[in-house]
Amino acid sequence: MQVTFKIWRQNGPKDKGKFESYPVDDLTDDMSFLEALDHLNERLVVAGKQVIAFEYDCREGICGQCGIFINGRAHGPHDHMTTCQLHMRSFKDGDTIVVEPWRAASFPIIKDLVVDRSAFDRIIEKGAYISSQTGTAPEANAILIPKSVADKAMDAAACIGCGACVATCKNSSAALFTAAKINHLNRLPQGKAEQHTRVKEMTWQMNLEGFGSCTFTGACEVECPEGISISNIAELNARLLKSKISGS
Amino acid sequence: MTTNPLFFRKTAIALTGLFLCLFLIVHLSANCILLLPKELAIPAYNSYSTLLRESPLIKIVAYLLYAAILLHVFYALLVTLRNRKAKPVRYAVNHAGENSSWASRNMGVLGTLILIFIVIHLANFWARIKLGLGEAVPSDPNGNLDVYSVTYELFQNAWFVAFYALMAIPLAWHLHHGLKSGFKTLGFYHQGGLRIIARISLIYAWIMGLGFGIIPIVVFFK
Repeated sequence: MQVTFKIWRQNGPKDKGKFESYPVDDLTDDMSFLEALDHLNERLVVAGKQVIAFEYDCREGICGQCGIFINGRAHGPHDHMTTCQLHMRSFKDGDTIVVEPWRAASFPIIKDLVVDRSAFDRIIEKGAYISSQTGTAPEANAILIPKSVADKAMDAAACIGCGACVATCKNSSAALFTAAKINHLNRLPQGKAEQHTRVKEMTWQMNLEGFGSCTFTGACEVECPEGISISNIAELNARLLKSKISGS
Repeated sequence: MTTNPLFFRKTAIALTGLFLCLFLIVHLSANCILLLPKELAIPAYNSYSTLLRESPLIKIVAYLLYAAILLHVFYALLVTLRNRKAKPVRYAVNHAGENSSWASRNMGVLGTLILIFIVIHLANFWARIKLGLGEAVPSDPNGNLDVYSVTYELFQNAWFVAFYALMAIPLAWHLHHGLKSGFKTLGFYHQGGLRIIARISLIYAWIMGLGFGIIPIVVFFK
């Protein structure tokens, strides 16, 4: 299989950056996209050139480390998929594949396809946890949680923080990520005690980080590898309003 | 902690937008009088417009309406500027059409077209009838200002008919996304309910688009 990768190369945060084309002709369609990039990098090493920087960890679609804008879509052409789960069979022989880093003011480029997503960490630090000494595991039935509630909390907790929502959003809004983190805890009894400060402080941090406003285009829920529903953002709006009214 | 601009501005846009959606229902309902045969339409339309001009309640609603339009535009502008700043570099290739609707991504463009329309629409009617600018409006046999004749004359000009009819398209598109998005902004998150709201928004947008688009054409051929 032969494809041409047209990849964004940028030496560092201050570098201007530009696209460079790399024809690769000995790929197989059962290679993952990241394996194809590995393959290209091996060629670059042999040729004495600088390898393409990109992020990954588990390559199993669960860690949220990989994230590349491929041919005009976050994580490539499929809905609800991470970059590492994308395979070369999704492309045709002879294709030119345009590969770009996540684009958002709050995700500055570190090098090539690697962006700094620590803005997400700072949002999490503002309240995506509960303040209690957990100690040893408590008795399983000490806090009864209906299955439907646990399921809904888990739906939100599935967020892997990959940043595809911000990358695909035309406003670079982090509303889906922040909503998932808040709703996960606020739906559970353990998270209720700090629900109002959590929603206020995490959304305030989202504002400080320079993300945009959500305008409900719905792109985020399509690109989200976990398929987290945009109704989470509507629920976040309701929670924020409730926390304002409660005044706590 | 001060008010979070990411949410406050969107809430203001949603509240003013939903108020404007309600206003459009009343506006289109009244415009339907223009579809009646001339002999019925003239007295009905003129007496209705006299009722509006003379009602103190409508005066309050009118000021609310002006405020709603201005605030809607003002906050939309702030949100757009902030959102552009958040995405300073665009993708070289972006197949946004595969994950979102064109209207949802271009509410600002659609809104600007509607604003241009509103300015021209106000110049056509409001400036002449309320401000008394331009040619004086005659009275009908019942002693009411003949607003029907102002409307009829305007829509004898094919350019204005085409402009009014075409502008109903961006209006419908803007309303379709705006109505369903507005409810989510205000915190309505029940998934089944949101599906119903999406359907209502589509029906509402079709009715408003077709209604406002067809009436000038019907008057033209009267």
